[in-house]
Amino acid sequence: MGDIEDTHFETGDSGASATFPMQCSALRKNGFVMLKGRPCKIVEMSTSKTGKHGHAKVHLVGIDIFNGKKYEDICPSTHNMDVPHVKREDYQLTDISDDGYLTLMADNGDLREDLKIPDGDLGTQLRTDFDSGKELLCTVLKSCGEECVIAVKANTALDK
Amino acid sequence: MDNSAIQTLEAAAQILMAPPNLVTSEQRQQAQNVFLEFRSTKNPYQLCREILEKSTTDIVLFEAAGLLKAALIREWSLLSENDISSLREYLFNYLLTRDTPPFLREKLLQTIAIIIKRGSIDDGGRERKALLSELEKIILGSPINQQKLACSLILAIMQEYAITVKSTDVGLIWEIHFRLKKSFEAVDLKRIFRFTVGVLEQIIRSGHCLEGEQMNLTKQLLTIVETVLCWSHVSPLLSKRLIGAFEAIYESDTAPALRLNLNWKDTIMQPELLALLFEIHMYVRTNPELASPSLTCLVQLASLSGVVVSANHMKQQYLENYVASFLNMMTYIQPMDREMLGLSEIYRRLVQFFTPVMIAGLPPAFLINLKNLTCHCIRGSVLEEMENSDSVWREALSKFLHTWSSIVNDMDGLPIENLSGPCIEIFNTYLQCRLAPPDGTRGTENVDEDIKHELEEDERKLHSNNLLTIGALARKAPAHCCHVLFSLLQDRSKKLESHLQLMHMGKLPVSGGEQLVNLFEDLHWILMITGHFLAIDCTEGETIMIPSEIIRYSISEHADLDASLRYLVGVSTDTDNVDPILKLLGEILRISSWECAALEAGLGTVFSPELSATLSWLLKIWTNSYLMPQSVFYNEMSPILESAFGRGSRGSSWVVSRLAARAGTCLRYLSAQPTAAFHALKLLTTLAHAHHKQNPSESCEEFLALIAWEAAGSNLPGELRKELHRAFAIAATYAQGNVRTRLLDSTEALQKKLINILNMESDTEPVRSMLADTLDCFIGVTEGVLEVGAMDEQFVMLIGALDKVPGILYRYHNYPGVVLPALNLLSKSAKRMLHSVQPQNVDKFLEVCNTTFEVYKQWNSGKISSIPQDAEDEVYEDICAIMELICSIARSGAHTNVNETCARGLRLLLPLITPPLLALPSLAQHAYRMIRDLDNCDQLTNLPIEDFNMVISALRVGLTAVSCDVSTLCCDTIVGLANRARTLGDNNPYAMSLLTLAELLLMLIIKMEIPPDSIPAAGSAIYALTCVKPALLEGLARQLIEAYAVNDPANVPRLEEAFSLLTNGVLFDGLRPHKIRFQDNFDKFLASVHGFLIVK
Repeated sequence: MGDIEDTHFETGDSGASATFPMQCSALRKNGFVMLKGRPCKIVEMSTSKTGKHGHAKVHLVGIDIFNGKKYEDICPSTHNMDVPHVKREDYQLTDISDDGYLTLMADNGDLREDLKIPDGDLGTQLRTDFDSGKELLCTVLKSCGEECVIAVKANTALDK
Repeated sequence: MDNSAIQTLEAAAQILMAPPNLVTSEQRQQAQNVFLEFRSTKNPYQLCREILEKSTTDIVLFEAAGLLKAALIREWSLLSENDISSLREYLFNYLLTRDTPPFLREKLLQTIAIIIKRGSIDDGGRERKALLSELEKIILGSPINQQKLACSLILAIMQEYAITVKSTDVGLIWEIHFRLKKSFEAVDLKRIFRFTVGVLEQIIRSGHCLEGEQMNLTKQLLTIVETVLCWSHVSPLLSKRLIGAFEAIYESDTAPALRLNLNWKDTIMQPELLALLFEIHMYVRTNPELASPSLTCLVQLASLSGVVVSANHMKQQYLENYVASFLNMMTYIQPMDREMLGLSEIYRRLVQFFTPVMIAGLPPAFLINLKNLTCHCIRGSVLEEMENSDSVWREALSKFLHTWSSIVNDMDGLPIENLSGPCIEIFNTYLQCRLAPPDGTRGTENVDEDIKHELEEDERKLHSNNLLTIGALARKAPAHCCHVLFSLLQDRSKKLESHLQLMHMGKLPVSGGEQLVNLFEDLHWILMITGHFLAIDCTEGETIMIPSEIIRYSISEHADLDASLRYLVGVSTDTDNVDPILKLLGEILRISSWECAALEAGLGTVFSPELSATLSWLLKIWTNSYLMPQSVFYNEMSPILESAFGRGSRGSSWVVSRLAARAGTCLRYLSAQPTAAFHALKLLTTLAHAHHKQNPSESCEEFLALIAWEAAGSNLPGELRKELHRAFAIAATYAQGNVRTRLLDSTEALQKKLINILNMESDTEPVRSMLADTLDCFIGVTEGVLEVGAMDEQFVMLIGALDKVPGILYRYHNYPGVVLPALNLLSKSAKRMLHSVQPQNVDKFLEVCNTTFEVYKQWNSGKISSIPQDAEDEVYEDICAIMELICSIARSGAHTNVNETCARGLRLLLPLITPPLLALPSLAQHAYRMIRDLDNCDQLTNLPIEDFNMVISALRVGLTAVSCDVSTLCCDTIVGLANRARTLGDNNPYAMSLLTLAELLLMLIIKMEIPPDSIPAAGSAIYALTCVKPALLEGLARQLIEAYAVNDPANVPRLEEAFSLLTNGVLFDGLRPHKIRFQDNFDKFLASVHGFLIVK
């Protein structure tokens, strides 16, 4: 990765590249990587090689951070892989529209209404908690231009 | 009698066996209920007989046999002697007169065996004796089918008596099981053995061809002999736990040694018996099914021990007889592949069970035979490895080498002349099998782009057991072996040099190719063997001495120091007067420098990472033994080795800088090759341990250069950087003055880096990844800090990073990849350092932890995430890290603020570990271990009562867990809590809360819903709880009995009796004698209660 002073970081936000390169051997389990063009979380990493005296290859298994699909890839450990910029931001939930869109407020007060209620148990819980009048904080995962709510908690910060 | 009952059962059986499309699930459920009800039928003997006579449905027959067995156990005390013996006779006749299917036969035979065993409690084995006589008659003169049945029954009876501790036969306490086994052993085991061997003798004398039924009968007879010889003869003086361990061995694959008492003398000491058993093996060995038990018999006989051979001359005599028969057999037979394992086991056992003097006194053929078999086995095992097939040869080889290892290490009586010949031959054979032609016979491995997972097993570990012995054998003939190894190394080193040079000059293509791979493989093996010849592999931090044979050999060569050093450093190639050990090392270092040169010249893509790893490994174990040897530990020391590598010598600093430079080069160029980088780091860590410990003033520029390289941004993957910082920290512990300051620069650079990252405005993935790496490096520093004196200085160095943790957690709470290393850093630091720093530093640390807990709680309590199933473990990794942290803090000792911090931590954790999370086995294990550990540190009763109640609820969940570990941990915790509650009095709220667990625990025990291995712990818990409130147990018993009085009044008296048994003669004073008495009573209680309450 080199020294901090010499490194220029892409912010990953507007217009800039959605990914950055990293040597395959420096990837870690639970970290992120692009597999088959999708941003994935690495759930399994193992090393293999061709013949006893061959060079190492890294076998990666990842799950798509948005849709949960599993992908695999194998790559020489000296090569670079693309790593997605991943961001998680907290928003206050202010409303849920009839067609299932969330009204979310960022720390700076900006509102957005472009995210739907997540699928599954999380979505059900979110709606129940909201309907019962709880102040909710939603964590939004953002990468490669996609976004979704991945966690929700009662906003205790408001009590203080 | 009841034909309708049989019809109902048969109809239910039909439904159960019907394909799913023909019956509904309700019908199936009903059918199952029919059988469940059937299983609890009382007094079912007549009904079962009817079924056995009339029914033709397999399931019904099987269920009837099972019911018969269960009912007998349950209702034994209610049945008359006549009923039982008529039932036994009926069953035996039933089996004799019918051709029953195997599943039914086995079940019925077991039932007869149980009747015989339980009957022998009262009749002292009279019935059994009569039955055995009857069986013997059948075997001698009835049709072959009946003979086989009689053999099966003998085996079933032996099986029933063999195991006592884990006996499935509930209803008897262990002491009775054990007494019965002992009396069976004393009265009937030898009789069965002699009779069966006699029958086998008749069979082989008659010259029958062993085919078909005759073969099956012979197999059964051999199995009976095998079972007798594998019998676990346990001394009655041992405790139940030890006897349990013995019986566990008996049930496993390797049979225990044959330990016999004096009673067996007349049989086992007869030379004719041994000769006969060898003869039997020779007769049957071509048939694999018969050869297996007969060879096991011979293996068992090789381990004869016990009172019968306690006199040395008896033992000697037996060994001579055995070996004579064994060698006689070996002259007649050509061992088959499948016999190798047995033969290797015979040798291993003889050497293990007879004294070295006796073994040394055996005829030379004994050793020659062993050598021949070993060499044969080496060749077989290498072939087997190539084909990747079974591992029979490899197992046999490891046993043969095990035997050799005992012989070369313990047999002082054996003259070295007798030993060196075989040693050289085995060494040569092993080497040959590993080298490519023309020097060796190694085949080509099928490199069909086959991808191997290398991290499963490190090559050097995979072969280390065998190589350890090959190295030991080689040291018995050091001159020969050293010469061979040196010549091979010299030759391959030249080949490697020229190959690499041609590549570098562009005269050879820069690619692998078969020739180069063969060269790598040759070198890999020569180096592994050389490593084990020179030194013994070791774990980190442990210094192993130079083997004495090597020292003696070096002394005997009278080499010239100057010439040796000139050869070592490479200024001369003249090998005259050069010490052989320095010669070997010189050659190894030359190969290492070829590798480094190749890497630096950009040929890294063709050089083998595996070979690189082997070189680093070899240099590591060399360093550990030879670098700066402490002469006070040695009886004799080679002057050359001492002058070359001793403390303060020029040779040692030269070698250290070469090795550090090598490690550095490998890390720079092979950081993406996990095995090579791992071993390079190991070498570096060993250098950090070794050279600084003894020579602190010496600095090694190459080592320090690595620090500068890392500080400037080394480009290493995170895991390797962590290990590198660990090595730096180890070196710093031993260093002093200027060197130390320079070594500590590494931590300072890390500190700066951390602050830089935290000050950065941009929050992007690369920054987070770098932050996680840096935190990991700090963990490396923590792990490398060795305990030398007080640790305040190191602590102060780290606190600058530790106090950033709460801030990191706040800013990056959404990124587990950062949160986890930050929490781990805290918990590792607490574990390694907290116990030996000054109170003010402890306070600082606790302050950091308290804030961390607050921040964590703020972001995580009540959080619900959408976690994909594959990443489930991620959910609780941070929780586990916090648990570790709390435990480490609690264990760090009695500091006033420790309690407060632990309580805060627990208050944070307890609401987070919800029952769904506790259902995850590994989290549950962690959580309950933490609770147990905190209990050991007296932390739980310091909690506010409402938090304590949460602990009790968690224990309630834990007790009902399926895992034995978790329920045992819970019971242990209860014992600890109860001991403390006793001092508080039973009206104390903590004690009252704890006592609410008693009822649940007792019900779980009675219903056998607690894992069997946790039962002893559960017993202790019940006792400890009763000590808190002596009326507790009585009250619970009354409750339970009242509940039974409604549903099952028949069992009430038995239940009452069982409970009075439980408390009989026990004082609930918490002292050891009564605790033990209660445990005994508890066993009896369980045996009795489970006997009539459980319908399995």
